[in-house]
Amino acid sequence: MEALVHNLKLSWHSIKRAPLPYALTLLILSLGLGTFFSNATLYYWMNRDPIPEKSQTLFMVRMNSVPGDCTDCFEPPRVMSYMDMQKMSGSGITSAEAAMYSSNAYAKTVENQQATPSQVELRVTQRDFFKLFNVPFLHGETWPDNNARMEVVISKNTATKFFSRTDVVGQDMLIDDQLYKVIGVLDEWSMLPRLYDVNGSRSAEPTEDIYLPLETAYDLAIQSNTQNSFFDVDWDGDMATYPQMARTNFVNQLQFWVQLDSPEKVQQYQQYLKNLVQDEKAAGRHTRPEGNKLDNILNVQKALRATNDQLDAFALVASLFLLVCVVNASHLSLNRYMANQYEFSLRRALGASRWQLQSQIMADVLLSSVLAFVAALVFAQLGLWTINSLLPGTRALASWDWQMLSVMALFVVLISYLVTLYPALKTSFSPLNQQLKQ
Amino acid sequence: MIQINNLSKIFRTDLIETHALRQINLQVNEGEFAALTGPSGSGKSTLLNVLGTLESFDQGDYLLDGRSVKGLSDRELSALRNEKIGFIFQGFNLIKDFSLYDNIELPLRYRGFSSAERKRRVEQSLETVGLAARRDYHPSQLSGGQQQRVAIARAIAGEPRILLADEPTGNLDSLMARQVMELLEKINQQGCTILMVTHDPDQARRANRHIQIVDGQLNDSSMYEPLAAGA
Repeated sequence: MEALVHNLKLSWHSIKRAPLPYALTLLILSLGLGTFFSNATLYYWMNRDPIPEKSQTLFMVRMNSVPGDCTDCFEPPRVMSYMDMQKMSGSGITSAEAAMYSSNAYAKTVENQQATPSQVELRVTQRDFFKLFNVPFLHGETWPDNNARMEVVISKNTATKFFSRTDVVGQDMLIDDQLYKVIGVLDEWSMLPRLYDVNGSRSAEPTEDIYLPLETAYDLAIQSNTQNSFFDVDWDGDMATYPQMARTNFVNQLQFWVQLDSPEKVQQYQQYLKNLVQDEKAAGRHTRPEGNKLDNILNVQKALRATNDQLDAFALVASLFLLVCVVNASHLSLNRYMANQYEFSLRRALGASRWQLQSQIMADVLLSSVLAFVAALVFAQLGLWTINSLLPGTRALASWDWQMLSVMALFVVLISYLVTLYPALKTSFSPLNQQLKQ
Repeated sequence: MIQINNLSKIFRTDLIETHALRQINLQVNEGEFAALTGPSGSGKSTLLNVLGTLESFDQGDYLLDGRSVKGLSDRELSALRNEKIGFIFQGFNLIKDFSLYDNIELPLRYRGFSSAERKRRVEQSLETVGLAARRDYHPSQLSGGQQQRVAIARAIAGEPRILLADEPTGNLDSLMARQVMELLEKINQQGCTILMVTHDPDQARRANRHIQIVDGQLNDSSMYEPLAAGA
């Protein structure tokens, strides 16, 4: 420890001797690292497993059930109809299953009807949604079944925002002028990435404000704001006929998620879907080739081709920028070390081995790492603000957890060492006598 | 103390080879104070650097305190320099940002001495060179002569077997030069072997042995003939 303190003291002396070149080296390095970290932050959140305790058991189901002949259309649509969802439900194989889509609305409280309603994000879904994704309840509970009812579950933030408290079970809310009763309030819950809603590249957005029963949404003609595809539907646009029409036609807007607790269950469910398609084909309803998909939650972005290309472009630019910064910082660092060459030679002459010089250099690296880490976090935060401005959908991804900070800190040490490696080797292996004679 | 046999050192560039030391044989016994003189470019500093293991050699052998330095690893050479050799340079080579105490303590740290032992040795060597009261001064606050005395204190703090001094008075005026020489003589009288490169014939005469080097070769007639004291 005493040696470390001594070496840190020497490093500090070295910095004080030429503070400007050191500050410039640090600035360039931090800028490169900060830019890289901004991008890495988004990547980390977008590519992590949001529900590791059960991700292996969660699957999104798709079926190639779209009207019209097409012999080479093997890829099923991203969303399915109410009819298909109903046929898939109740298999007895799944531990939980829920159909869903997203929408939005304007909401206010009954007590404050004169207030301007606030826009809220809706998740239209079924009772198992909360079980599927381990959503915690703070107060109340989910619906007892999947029937239509004017009851909603709301997030903790929504409760606080509209009622200024969290225990609001039994309170009424007006959502698009319809009266609902709050039956449950969720605890803090943030699923990042929100892989149950990757359609439309919305997986980076925060979880919804209000959860509404699917059957109620159909009754009230609340449609998906992500994807709503009508196939071979003859509808005059009369909202009064929408509930019946949407339930009996290929109005595709639903995503269907199931929980299958073992590989055997997965196989059974695949067979169940296969049999379903065969029955449909026998009834003359499934005209396209069989294209059932059971995509695990961790593969769903790739399966729906919902990866963010802009992030990939940012990643490439950030990596190249870091490389340029490392090369430049290394060059500046070399100049700094060469200016201190005399002192290194003197230490060697006084009996320091190359290894002992490396200890000194590691102290330099440690000191630089601490300073570069702090500066890089500042630049990273600035970078995140910029990216969030350019890509508003990434706003939920601009935070760091301890695991991330630890990896970032290790990365800074590694990069700082890389920057110092060549100068350190050059200094350690240069002839001793020349410098000491000067 | 020092035994070198048929030692050669060649500096090579793409175009030329310079034979800095040619087949040198030399023995320096324990307790000697030897002066190494010669014209510029004759190889005296190169010889001193080779003896101090700051420079490698191409041929021959070099035994320091009975141990051949040939083939020693970097760690072994560093330990050898640290434990057996003390360096005194013409330009003092003190670290400007360090106090006198820290400068003298530096080689003792590499040796792994405890904090208390380092303190004892630093204070003792500062006492020897007469600068005990200025332990917290920085080199820039001292005169050239005082700085060289600090460098001597640093060199002797590890109680080396031999001091290698490269023109230790080259940057000093005559008064300070004399003080430094007196200090070296005092250290020699305490049993430390000294090999000193110098241009100054007067200082060479103060050594008890005078070795001349010309064109990388030692002058045989002077090699083993110590000058009479006070000559």
